[in-house]
Amino acid sequence: MVNSIFLQLLTGLQLGALYVLISLGLALIFGTLGVVNFAHGAMFMVAAYLGVVISQAEWGGWGVAIVLVPIILFALGLLMERGLIRFFYARPHTDQILVTFGLAIVLQETFKWYFGANNLPFATPDWGSGIMRLHDYLPFLEGFVAYPKWRLILTAVSLITVAGLFALLQFTTFGLVVRAGMRDSEMLRLLGVNISRRFAIVFALGVGIAGIAGVFGGPVTQVDPGIGMVFLVPSFLVVVIGGMGSLPGAVLASFLIGLAISFTATIPALANIIVYLIAIIILLFRPRGLMGQKGVME
Amino acid sequence: MSSANSAFYKKDLLPVATFAVVLLTMPFWFKFIGGYSGLDTKIVIWIIFAIGFGILLGYMGFLSFGHAAFFGTSAYFTGLMLLHFSANILPAMVVGIISGIIMAFIIGFLTLKRTGIYFSILTLAFGEMLHSMVLSTLQDYTGGDNGLTGLPTPMLFGLKMQGDNVFYLTVIVAIVMYYIARRIIRSPFGLMLKAIKSNQVRLEYTGVNVARYKLLGFVISAVYASVAGSLMIVYEPYVASEFLSWHLSGHIVIMTVLGGVGTLFGPMLGAAFMLYFENVLSVTMGEQWLLILGAVFMLTVIFLPGGFVEGGSKIKKKLMGGDE
Amino acid sequence: MTDKKEKKIWTRRDVLKASVGVAVASATPMFFMKDAWAEEAIGNYPVKGSTVKFGFNVPQTGAYADEGADELRGYKLAVEHLNNGGGMLETLKPSSLKGNGVLGKKVEYVTGDTQTNPDAARTSARRMIDRDGVIMWSGGSSSATAIAQQYLAQEKGVIFMSALTHSNDTTGKDKRRYGFRYFFNAHMTGKALAPVLSKAYGKDRRAFHLSADYSWGHTQFESMKDFTEKEGWTTVQNIMTPLKSTDFSAFLTAVLNSDADVLVLNHYGKNMVNSLSQAVSFGMRELQKNGKTMEIVIPLYSRLMAQGAGIDNVEGVYGTTSWTWKQKDAGSQVFTNAFTKVHGFPPSQAAHVAYCQTLLYANACEMAGTFYPPAVIKALEDFKFSGTGTGDTLYRGEDHQCMRDILVVQGNSKAKSSGKYDLLNIHATVKADAVAYPVSTFKGELGPYKPA
Repeated sequence: MVNSIFLQLLTGLQLGALYVLISLGLALIFGTLGVVNFAHGAMFMVAAYLGVVISQAEWGGWGVAIVLVPIILFALGLLMERGLIRFFYARPHTDQILVTFGLAIVLQETFKWYFGANNLPFATPDWGSGIMRLHDYLPFLEGFVAYPKWRLILTAVSLITVAGLFALLQFTTFGLVVRAGMRDSEMLRLLGVNISRRFAIVFALGVGIAGIAGVFGGPVTQVDPGIGMVFLVPSFLVVVIGGMGSLPGAVLASFLIGLAISFTATIPALANIIVYLIAIIILLFRPRGLMGQKGVME
Repeated sequence: MSSANSAFYKKDLLPVATFAVVLLTMPFWFKFIGGYSGLDTKIVIWIIFAIGFGILLGYMGFLSFGHAAFFGTSAYFTGLMLLHFSANILPAMVVGIISGIIMAFIIGFLTLKRTGIYFSILTLAFGEMLHSMVLSTLQDYTGGDNGLTGLPTPMLFGLKMQGDNVFYLTVIVAIVMYYIARRIIRSPFGLMLKAIKSNQVRLEYTGVNVARYKLLGFVISAVYASVAGSLMIVYEPYVASEFLSWHLSGHIVIMTVLGGVGTLFGPMLGAAFMLYFENVLSVTMGEQWLLILGAVFMLTVIFLPGGFVEGGSKIKKKLMGGDE
Repeated sequence: MTDKKEKKIWTRRDVLKASVGVAVASATPMFFMKDAWAEEAIGNYPVKGSTVKFGFNVPQTGAYADEGADELRGYKLAVEHLNNGGGMLETLKPSSLKGNGVLGKKVEYVTGDTQTNPDAARTSARRMIDRDGVIMWSGGSSSATAIAQQYLAQEKGVIFMSALTHSNDTTGKDKRRYGFRYFFNAHMTGKALAPVLSKAYGKDRRAFHLSADYSWGHTQFESMKDFTEKEGWTTVQNIMTPLKSTDFSAFLTAVLNSDADVLVLNHYGKNMVNSLSQAVSFGMRELQKNGKTMEIVIPLYSRLMAQGAGIDNVEGVYGTTSWTWKQKDAGSQVFTNAFTKVHGFPPSQAAHVAYCQTLLYANACEMAGTFYPPAVIKALEDFKFSGTGTGDTLYRGEDHQCMRDILVVQGNSKAKSSGKYDLLNIHATVKADAVAYPVSTFKGELGPYKPA
């Protein structure tokens, strides 16, 4: 009994961990810049592909991939923001959605063209493969309880990333400016703060986090061009459930969704729609989301 | 009476008649540009869908990413009627369209409480939820991933609805619905929709019951989607679960924006263009047609937000040389 | 104002009447002409010109894309041999194929992408019929796409030779006169596999099933459940997993939490590659449950899937397939050699069924002496043949299902494997009569010889 609940909890956390990494970037970008990035799923896809290629390249390897992929995605984010997104700040939200949607399609098709539509096998590194015998560490478990090592690593990475992001926002000047910008960007501009450069960095940071998601989550989700779109809708729903612009909200909502999926797995008729149901209920009765600020987007 | 008549001639007769002539003669000229029979019917169906979607996005200013919900619901009910009730398309289509309208009232009532990105995501969530339900929860009724198979040949009182019969039926419906759309846009109701697009809050302050107009506008656009969905089953007696997917919703968005939001003609042009591109030009372009279309779409949104229609009028201005 | 009244004025009603009049007038000739040809022309028959066109509709994207790529290779080889001789033309008995095309016409082909999705499959097939004028088409790698296409075939009067479809429904409740299946089905799998499993693992096993949530997954689960329970096994639970799933951790957790000691994966293609790899990564092959080692069963196997999952994961796992390149009979050898010569690697069962179906259709046209669909259909019905690698095969007329041999296979071990394509060992060849079943096992009617 204990085993059963523990395993379901663990699976829920592990599922949530991936959603955290993907939706955190989305929430950060929307919270600070108010930009809706429909291409965020595609960023995850790009990162996953880069992860495969670099981890299997002769000059690369897993260690290199873990360091390089988020950096490349960060650069990509800078490029995207300076090259495309910043022209859309003044334009209506619908235009942002449309152009990033178009970008998502272009990226997906480009990768399909180059890599083919089939998925690329993304093997976990030797130090991350195999199972971890949890019953050796946790005395309350009965008998043989094991869990794939990589999924545990993913969960840990996700928590570390969340902690890192919060530290950045809470304890650095940069973070202070960003948080202020999330509250009232106009005021900041009036105060003479160069907000646009900060915004570019924030956007890039959001995309960089998607990079972490791609390299650690790729082996779990499989790597094919459509994987971005598969995650786009649930990530948006997670951000909305948590509260647009609320980072703790995104984290909470991600784990909530992960647990919901895990605990309803045996009732597929429910499991398949649980995410939408929760999103719809929240959007209707508490539109600011679980932890959003009152008045945001109401 | 005569002033209404003269309004009709000036504003509606020419466009509607041109529309009618172009469509009715399609089987004759379509093959010269590489088209084939069957594709023409599909294009007309999507044109109907696009007209309605254009009313919602272009005139009322609401971007729905879940319109497949109405196309698909109508398609499923039409299919179920054909399968279980009668092969006659009349009751099937009526039930299909009504089911789409009911779904629109429900979804519209719930989603229109929010605006902007929230509205878009809500419509997306509803659409995907219906899609999932049809695949798993309701699969005993809907055929799940198989879709609804085994439908009889649709009949219209003894006339087999196949091939050209379906085409001409679709065209007649399209002509009527185009005319209706034109009248709606120019009516006081249409003016209300435009007012909602320009500033909903201010309109509310003037004492107008904005919620009611929004819902009606939404439902009207859903009617077009439902009619299209129903006709789709008459054209191809098979209901695919994909009809509720957000890929379909995405397609109508692309068509409408590409063609030109803000007019009725734009979305129609976009629909015809995208289908032509996908089915005819893709032969020469190969696998990459969606990539190219996606790129064209992006460029349109960035540089030519009014779509092909805006492009067309810009070219016309250049050719005419300066003012008028 | 008075000026306007003197002109001839068309009221709204007049315009509408005129439009309807024009519509009816232009449509009328079509009615008459169609009726006049109804006896002669069905689908894209008669075939004009010196060539005949086949359509090959395969999944180029989606969960079954790897199989689709191999099917396409099989199709191309078949066209090559039909036009120039060679391959199974030498081993098929009885054969009327001459190696110079079909009925004197060279074979050309067009291809389409089903995207492992029934709607895309139907749209693509329709395009091949309407735009490209194919006389027959073949393909599909999921039963949903095959079934959707079969219905289209019946409506349009163009024959569809299904390739990879394993669901009982394809020649069961969804059987159609214009559809034909050479591949085996879930019922045969259950019948052949269950005795092997109970011999290997014992009669006192508790099975948990994960099944792909569509027609095939359902029927395979039912067949496996029926036949394993006959052997004494208990079915603990079945979860229908969405076709688009890539992460099975939630389902696998449920398996771990249950008291099952056998995991049956009713998955194919990418689904199976993922679910098997993930099941192994959860330690399921080392687990001890109820005092026994946990075992995994993959009722429907393919070498491509085994390649995707990796030999370490499939070692020792039982399943069934239609055919493998390691078969020693003449037909299999000649096909494998021809294929390997072109591609540098051996064919899978996907390529095999694609190749055979194309040849069987062409042969039927030669036997009937015409492309006229009802005649070709009659030629295929109750056709007995051999030399294609499935033993003495009967194309049963009452349901268009081939009664044929199938293979029970087991995953090879790295130590014994001769190379990266040598992944499946033939455990047993189960003869046609051992897996045959009466037509009445499944509901459904074939339908008429002329399109509906």
